[in-house]
Amino acid sequence: MSASYILKRVALIFYTLLVVSLLVFGITQVLPADAAVMMLGENATADALEALRNSMGLNDPVWLQYLRWIGGVLQGDFGTSLRTGQQVGPALFSALGTSLMLAVFSLAFMLVLALPAGILAAIRRGKLTDLLVSFLSYIGVALPEFVTATLAVLFIADWWGILPPAGYVPLSQDLAGGLRHLVLPVAVVSIIMIAHVSRMVRSELVDVLHTDYIRAAHLKGLSRSRILFRHGLRNALLPTITIVALDVGYLLGGVIVVEEIFSIPGIGRALMAAIQARDLPVIQAGVLIMAATYCIVNFAADLMYAWLDKRIQYD
Amino acid sequence: MSLNRRTFLLSTAAVMALNAYAPDIALAQAAPERGGTLRVAIDQAVSVLHPLLSRVNPEYLAAELLYSGLTRLSVSMQAEPDLATEWDANETLTEWTFKLRDNLKFHDGAACTSADVVASFEAILNPDFASPARNNVGPIEKIEAVDPLTVKFILSTPYADLPVALAYNNARIVPASVIANNFESLRLEANGTGPFKLVSYEPDRLVVVERNPDYYDSARPHVDRVELRVFPDLGAQVSSLIAGDIDLVATVEPNDFMRLEGEDGIDALRAASGQFCNVNFGTDIAPFNDARVRRALALCIDRDAMVDFMTEGYGIKGNDTPLNESYAFFKALPQREANLEEAKRLLAEAGMPDGFEAELIASDRPAIRTQLAIALREMAKEIGVTINVRTMPHATYLDQVWTKGAFYIGFYNMQPTPDGIFKLLFTSDAAWNETRWNNKQFDALIEEARGILDADKRTEIYTKAQELMFEDVPSLIPAFFDVLGAKRAWMHDYAIHPRASVFRLDFAWLDANSPTRAS
Repeated sequence: MSASYILKRVALIFYTLLVVSLLVFGITQVLPADAAVMMLGENATADALEALRNSMGLNDPVWLQYLRWIGGVLQGDFGTSLRTGQQVGPALFSALGTSLMLAVFSLAFMLVLALPAGILAAIRRGKLTDLLVSFLSYIGVALPEFVTATLAVLFIADWWGILPPAGYVPLSQDLAGGLRHLVLPVAVVSIIMIAHVSRMVRSELVDVLHTDYIRAAHLKGLSRSRILFRHGLRNALLPTITIVALDVGYLLGGVIVVEEIFSIPGIGRALMAAIQARDLPVIQAGVLIMAATYCIVNFAADLMYAWLDKRIQYD
Repeated sequence: MSLNRRTFLLSTAAVMALNAYAPDIALAQAAPERGGTLRVAIDQAVSVLHPLLSRVNPEYLAAELLYSGLTRLSVSMQAEPDLATEWDANETLTEWTFKLRDNLKFHDGAACTSADVVASFEAILNPDFASPARNNVGPIEKIEAVDPLTVKFILSTPYADLPVALAYNNARIVPASVIANNFESLRLEANGTGPFKLVSYEPDRLVVVERNPDYYDSARPHVDRVELRVFPDLGAQVSSLIAGDIDLVATVEPNDFMRLEGEDGIDALRAASGQFCNVNFGTDIAPFNDARVRRALALCIDRDAMVDFMTEGYGIKGNDTPLNESYAFFKALPQREANLEEAKRLLAEAGMPDGFEAELIASDRPAIRTQLAIALREMAKEIGVTINVRTMPHATYLDQVWTKGAFYIGFYNMQPTPDGIFKLLFTSDAAWNETRWNNKQFDALIEEARGILDADKRTEIYTKAQELMFEDVPSLIPAFFDVLGAKRAWMHDYAIHPRASVFRLDFAWLDANSPTRAS
């Protein structure tokens, strides 16, 4: 893997982000209603709207609004939210941090359960264990998170009172309390991912275990565990990395339902609130931050590919 | 007399009977205890902290904790002293004088005087600041500081309801210096004369306030802190209340309310109200420009079924006028009931014996709007009218339909006075003249009532105004909602307010059973 390749990829990431920012800006221009309408809501009179639009700079030409915004971003200033008047950057990065924390916990929890489940199902293919893992994964995939979340709240929080039903406590403020509030959302988010990751691990591992080099390893007299972990899993895990990288995207933007139900102030909810309020600076910055995270994670996945499989050469 | 169960029940019954007559006095029954953190669940973000610009109930709540007005609204919709202790009007009700309390202080320690009151109201009335209060504080032409503790409002027309109107959610007093130098700073920080001071502000998660030691009434507030916690999911609010993680859910949906009514340690709170969901006609657009068509639709509605369907039984029938028993100066008209024959006859008379087809628009927020639209669609089938319901995102609705459309669903909180709701929606000069009804006779009646203090006379005039609406049906108002909320039993002296946007948490207190009192 050459330095010029990495440079090219980084340039491509910036190019992607530029296109994304133009697209989002374009889309928000076409949406009905603007931030002034949403701010004033049913209190909007023609002159109040006009006054607010002027103070928000919404009456300037579109290209000027865009240039002003992108100019700020290049200097690290994402502007101020039209809805709350807060600095967009700090607010969104804090929301991103919350989402990433949920994501990291969920990924870790998911991998701890999904990898062994997939491996077990693969080596006991066709046996009861395999069927059980398949059955449970189907249930996990079939239940959308608003169902599992509601059920979890109802049973575990309302009836048994084991865990708090909703709310978010920063870990820096109260570690134990924060973790207690995280258990249910992490479990709910993980269930869906466990299902497809364990199935992916299983099918890949089954394929790999039928290849000639594994048979050769058996004939060479290597131990079963060495064959499985060193030769089998290492190759079977490659597609799983892609899946996990894609899941990070899901974890950042797709778990908005979970963020709503458990009142977690993540970036999905921040973006949703911004879209509802037509809060352009926040929409722009939010999408940009999510796109950037997505690009970086996928880039990291590609690098990890090359590291795990020396046959892959990027140039 | 020893206290057994029977005498206890009798005495509570007596107290409750007393409450029914004097809900405000009931607040004094047990001695309030001091301390603790009151945790309140709210269902929307506090996006706007600025007291002159807030627009939804959770924002009004935050503003009410941090700021004061000249007057405040009691649970029975009367004006109570807040920063002003007394007020008086001239004979014609065109000049009102308000006396301020002595030694008022803003949170930063600066004195609050009549100059701040004048500056605040000038800001409210300044169109550049776009304060929602501008249309709601009455016909103020000018406001002057007579001396540091006296302000005078000069009105363009007589207005008997001024003290109540000045209690409007956005009519808060902020420092004159802030208005002059840095009006926008109030979006992120707070400097008021309210019972609490701002500790931290995260719009989408948590607002924390603590007791203001310089509050004008040293007895209040009773709790040390209030936390407003944002729970976007209504079910999660209720679960957290049951778990004891919060003390008060400001608003509850009917189905959650039923679930809470049986829970131990929880008080489900309910107040009759003038809140309604209605069907607005653009009375200048065919076929709704014909009063017979509008009346025909009013006559196809089974109002008992509407109350069941829309409010789950937590509400009362409407009579196509915005007033009901919750309002002062109200006299009931004969209740309109379904009469399909008469409805068909009216349609035939209007030249549409086979009915007509129309598109009814409902915003998706709150969901009750769609419910009303669907119920009307089914009921109108009976008289041959085909209604196609179209739901749309609230943003699109506000931009394209609201106050412009011919046939759409509205949703309104109760206003403090009949004048408030009529001037908001139905007069020709209404702030939101959705129906473009523009009935001169109606306008004159509402205007006349503004200049009268005598209750009987006002009742008479508003009854005439109601009759005009009942006859002409600019809008269908099939049902009124009760306002629902819930609190833990360890929280006391909180009464749910029919206006739904007033909270009065400085009167509330927590007893020793509350988890935050111990720590």
